[in-house]
Formats: sequence, structure tokens, C-alpha cells
Amino acid sequence: MGKKSGYDLETGGFENRLFKLKLLGGIWAGKKLMGLTRILGRGGTTLPGRMALKILPQLSSALIERLTDDSLIVTGTNGKTTTSALITGILKDAGFRCIHNQSGSNMSWGVASALIGAASWSGSIAADFAVMEVDEGAFPGVTKEIRPGGIVLTNIFRDQLDRYGEVDHVQDSIKRGLELQPENGFEVINADDPSLASIKSIPGKKRWTYGLELDLPADTFQNTGRDIKSCPVCNEKLVYTKIYFAHLGHYHCQACSYKRPEPDVRLIGQISGPEGVTVLKISLPESEFEVKYSLPGTYNLYNVLAAVTCARALEIPVATVARALESAVPSFGRMELFEIEGKTMIMALIKNPVGANEVLRTILAQKGKIGLLVAINDKIADGTDVSWLWDVDFEQLSTIKEKLSTVTVSGLRALDMAVRLKYAGLDPGQVQVEEDTARAINSSLEQTPPGGRLFILPTYTAMLEMRRTLNKLGLAKPYWED
Amino acid sequence: MAEIKIYHLYPGHLNLYGDRGNMLALCCRANWRGIDVEIIPVEPGDKINFPRCDLLFMGGGQDSDQKLIAEDLKGRSQDMRRAVEEGMVIFAVCGSYQLLGLYYTTNRGEKIGGLEIVDLYTEAGQKRLIGNAVIKCSLWDPARTLVGFENHAGKTYLGSSLQPLGTVIAGYGNNGTDKTEGAVYKNLIGTYLHGSLLPKNPWLADYLLQRALDYRDQDYHFTDLDDKLEQQAHDAAIRLAGSRRYKRMATRA
Repeated sequence: MGKKSGYDLETGGFENRLFKLKLLGGIWAGKKLMGLTRILGRGGTTLPGRMALKILPQLSSALIERLTDDSLIVTGTNGKTTTSALITGILKDAGFRCIHNQSGSNMSWGVASALIGAASWSGSIAADFAVMEVDEGAFPGVTKEIRPGGIVLTNIFRDQLDRYGEVDHVQDSIKRGLELQPENGFEVINADDPSLASIKSIPGKKRWTYGLELDLPADTFQNTGRDIKSCPVCNEKLVYTKIYFAHLGHYHCQACSYKRPEPDVRLIGQISGPEGVTVLKISLPESEFEVKYSLPGTYNLYNVLAAVTCARALEIPVATVARALESAVPSFGRMELFEIEGKTMIMALIKNPVGANEVLRTILAQKGKIGLLVAINDKIADGTDVSWLWDVDFEQLSTIKEKLSTVTVSGLRALDMAVRLKYAGLDPGQVQVEEDTARAINSSLEQTPPGGRLFILPTYTAMLEMRRTLNKLGLAKPYWED
Repeated sequence: MAEIKIYHLYPGHLNLYGDRGNMLALCCRANWRGIDVEIIPVEPGDKINFPRCDLLFMGGGQDSDQKLIAEDLKGRSQDMRRAVEEGMVIFAVCGSYQLLGLYYTTNRGEKIGGLEIVDLYTEAGQKRLIGNAVIKCSLWDPARTLVGFENHAGKTYLGSSLQPLGTVIAGYGNNGTDKTEGAVYKNLIGTYLHGSLLPKNPWLADYLLQRALDYRDQDYHFTDLDDKLEQQAHDAAIRLAGSRRYKRMATRA
């Protein structure tokens, strides 16, 4: 992978000099704002990028040009943050310098902010790769801008319909983005997702596919948001011989010839070891290898597989991949652990029915008493439509009522959540409403006995608020210092 | 003992915007009062036994699902129309609401026929109408508010024989221009509002249940439930819909 041609920033001409001035202006404005917002205790992942893009709309592409290697985009509904973190971890272990928008700010300005953060004041960038998690809706625009050599697709689920309209539109957006990728690039696609796998590959591009080939127990959740029931090619009924979760599994169409493609990279074995460590057996086209890792849930198996496939496409040695995955820890707000005064807080971001059900599954498997704090905001980054809460199987909580020592709801939509839990079968008297997220954390923590566990389930902006509270308690590292 | 049979149309296909919440609200609120509920899920190809159905619930769907369903339902629209005339209760949200009308015109000018149950038609709009919505609804005297979330590309226009469900206080409503939202014909209610609509507007859930019981002449005295929490959520949602932040977002959508 070489450098792509583009703006020549170093040499003559008035236009070029003006461009360079604007680039520096953008970087400086961005960096100054970043400093300012961080003094205020915020991450500075939105405003600096927005401001810089106003000064120079092509800022991201100009900075990406300066990488010695290439850029990669990770997109899809669930698993973007973890997958991009795993890929970054592997690249770093392989000795590459990486830029990564690890705080999950994944719109065009989030990408710009991450690049500005990594650039020097003179506009140079000392990095080999940029790994960018990109929102599905922003995907075509960002692809056009940064022209990534590799694109990794996780899955398409129902998420933030207020922003994208419908699941069909998300697939359209992903198609358009893939068409905008430069020729001779590669794409990594989840073979178990019928709507992703049905996207036609483009001549000149290398497609890599991955999928699970395991015998897992059947899905017990009744409503895991099967958004795809019919064949994406001919609309007849899709038949599944295996379902891993939601609509991910082994499928074929009854009417036409459409079926799950044979994956290049397959997960063929999973052995649980002590202390949550799992040994995975992964099959590549030319070899098999084993890797130890410790992330929970089926959804993380897909994230690991996507990262391994991307590493294979980049021709990174298997031993490096295995070493990097062994040291992987949960990313930003994905089952992060915090300990204070002998109490454990477990923070898990929730943003759509499928992801939230996976989190609930983990909670249901807990032994002993637990506290629960659910914080729902409805800002743009959370999704302004909270009806998805009704598609989450919160009913499952009513089966462990006596295990729940405290239940608190918080955030701008705390009362919506309280009503949701009432109709899920919890006693409204058992549910405390505290809209302020900081106060909700403090009171929940107070009510958690020493040695007890508190599960915190926030939406994205509620999580950012809560991390600020945890910072003040001296717990979470500010995420710009990761 | 009072009993209501709810036919849930295509739970696998029409389930886009928390429609499960509407079903939960109907079932819970009936059960809390000791009314038995039988839910009959209907999948494409299944025959609906209209004479047996008290309440038909139709949710929202994606465009691709919608076409499938329109074709499947066409063969039964006469039975459906007869039942509606007799007073069967229908609650239809978003895509299904459009489907009950005469036709839907797509952006390309293609005209997709509806079930012709009620006198309304829908045209595809240029931009999606998305955001929190509040309407004033005259099913009760004095009128009550309903609060929900709308997300639709189609603009729906009512014929003169139809009453709107309410007038728009915040949001877009049927088409963003005439201030109407939803439609009421006998015991049929169609609306663009989800959110889910019924849990946060429990009086509408109760209205539907009451009408379903009346339809079968079931003598049942409707007891009041403790709706303090629902009322609080309703009031909070109205405050949020009226706040500056949402108005700004609504104009950006």
C-alpha cells in the first residue's frame, strides 16, 4: 500500500499556499479548541473538528495524505468501537504507529478531531495508519474524503431510525460508501449478515468474508430485533439452519440461489477457560491458529473475527495477531470495570435493541445481588427517538426481581424508562427516578453494599456525562489520555 | 369475565418503531383490570377470522415489507371493510395507517394501491418528517393531549368524510401543512405517532380497550388504574417536545 496522490502541500502556486494556510488555520483552531474544551473537562471530540472543517472542508483528506501507510474505516451498527480498537491494537503490536478515534466520536468531525489531535502544530503527522470508526450514515461522505485502503463492515441492525429512516436506507448508505472506495482496496464483510453479504462486490476490489461456525445454544431472547426475515435478493422467506444472534447466522433462500457465502476466515472452536478467558480456534484460508481472549458475549466473537480478517488482509503475521488479542480489554464504555471502596461498577453502553439485549443477557447470568442504573438521553448522538426501548427485552429483568438490590433510571428520558420498566413487570415503587446522571451515580453507589456490583447502562451522551462524574471520583481516565 | 381478542398483524414484519410497546400497553392494562386478552399473531398468508376479531393492531413497516403486505392483504380488504363498518376496532401506526387509505404515490410517480378502507391518500415527500410531536385530541371531552414521535416520508391527506385524530401542537402531523394528525373512522384509528404511543398516552390505550368491549356488548365497568407514572412521563415528553433544543433539531431534520 503506497501513498495516494492528492494535494501537494509543499510546493508553489498561490492556490497551494492558500490551501496550506487554511490547513494550518484549521489545525490550530482545532487544537486550541481541544485544549479549551479539555480544561472544561470535556473530551473535545466534536467542536474542534467541526470548527476546523468550517475553515477547510478537505482537512481530513489533507492530513490522511500524510500517513506513511493507509487509512482503514470500520462501520456497521454494532461493534465498531471494539473492532476498531482491536485492529488498532494489532497494528500497534505489529510495530505501526496508529491514529484512532477511540472515544467513539464517529461523524466526519470526529474523524477530523482525531487527526487534528495527532497532527503537529506545523501540520505534520507521524503515523503509519489511521483506523477510523465511522457512523453508517456518515460513511459515504467520510469514504469519499479519506479514501481508505480497507473497509471493515460489522453488521446492520436497527439503530437510530430517526436519523436514517429505515434499515433499508442503512444498507443503501453502506453500498454507496463501498462504491466510493478507491480501486485496489479491500473490504471485510460479515458473511453471517444476509443484508451485508448480499451487497455485490466491485470488480478490482478484494473482498474478505468472516463468519462463525460453532454449535452454540439457541437464542432464548424472543425479541432480538430480527430486522431481516426475507431474502434481500428476491424477498422470499429466508431459512436459517443456525442463528447466533438476531439475524446473524447460517441462512439460505428457499426460492432463489442466495445463501451465506463460504467465509474466508472462520471461527471453528471456542473453549471456555478459567476466569473468563476463552480460547478461540480460528481458521484462515492457509492455516489454523488459537488465541486466548477475555471479552464477553457472542457479539465480541464477531468483533474479534472482523479484526483478525482485517489483519489477514494487511498480511500481519498470525503470532502478532494472537499476542495483541490476548491483551485486549473492553473499549470505552463496553463493559468497562471501575472499582471504588470495594464496590464494582460495570458500565455498558446501550444504544439499540440487539446490543441492549446482549448486555441484559450478561446481567441475567450474574450470581448474587446487583444494582442497576439505566440512563437514557435522547440527544442526536443517542438517537432522538426512544421507542427502541420498547423493543428491548427488559421483561427478562422481572425474572430476577429479587436479585435487583436497587433500580434507578436517569437521563433526559428517565421517565420513559421508568414507564418501560413498569410495563416490563417491575414494581414502580422499586424504581427510583433521578434525571441528573451525576446524582444518580452517587446515590446508586451509596446504596450498593461493599463487595456489591452496580451495572450502569447509559446511552452514548449519558455515558459521556457519567464518565465526567467518574473522573471526579478519580476513577475513569479522561478518554483523551488513553 | 370480559375478554378481548387482539389480532396482531404481521408481528414479524410490521414492528419498526417499538410497536411492541403498544401491544404491551394494551395487554398489561387489560390484565391489570382482570380482562382476559387473547393475542392472535397473524403472519403473511394466514387467514384473519374477522368475525372473531375485536381489535386489530397494525404496526409500522419498512418500505420493502410494506409492499409485500399490501399484496397479501388486498384479497381480504372486503372482509376488513365490513368489519370496520360493524365497529371492529383497528389501531394502525405509520406504514399501516397509509396502507388503509386509497393509494400511495412514490417519488417516481408510481401509484401503489391501498386497501381502500378509509378515504385518505399519501404522497411521498422530499424530506422525512422526523421529531417529537404533540397533538390535541377530541376523542374525549374536554380534549386531551397525545405525545409521540413521528418519522415518515409520506404526506397523508384526509378526505372530507374523515376526522383527524387530533390537531398538531408540536411537530408535523399528517403532512406538515394542514395541522391535522392521524385519522378516525368509527372505531378505526390511524396515526403517524409512535414512541411507543400507548404507554405514554394510557387514555388512548383504555379508549381502544373500551371500544373493543363495547363492540361485543360486553358489560364491563372500567376501573381506573394508577397512572401517575405514565402521566409524569407524558408531561415530561410534552415539555421536551416544546423545548428549544427539539425545535432546532426538527428544522434540521
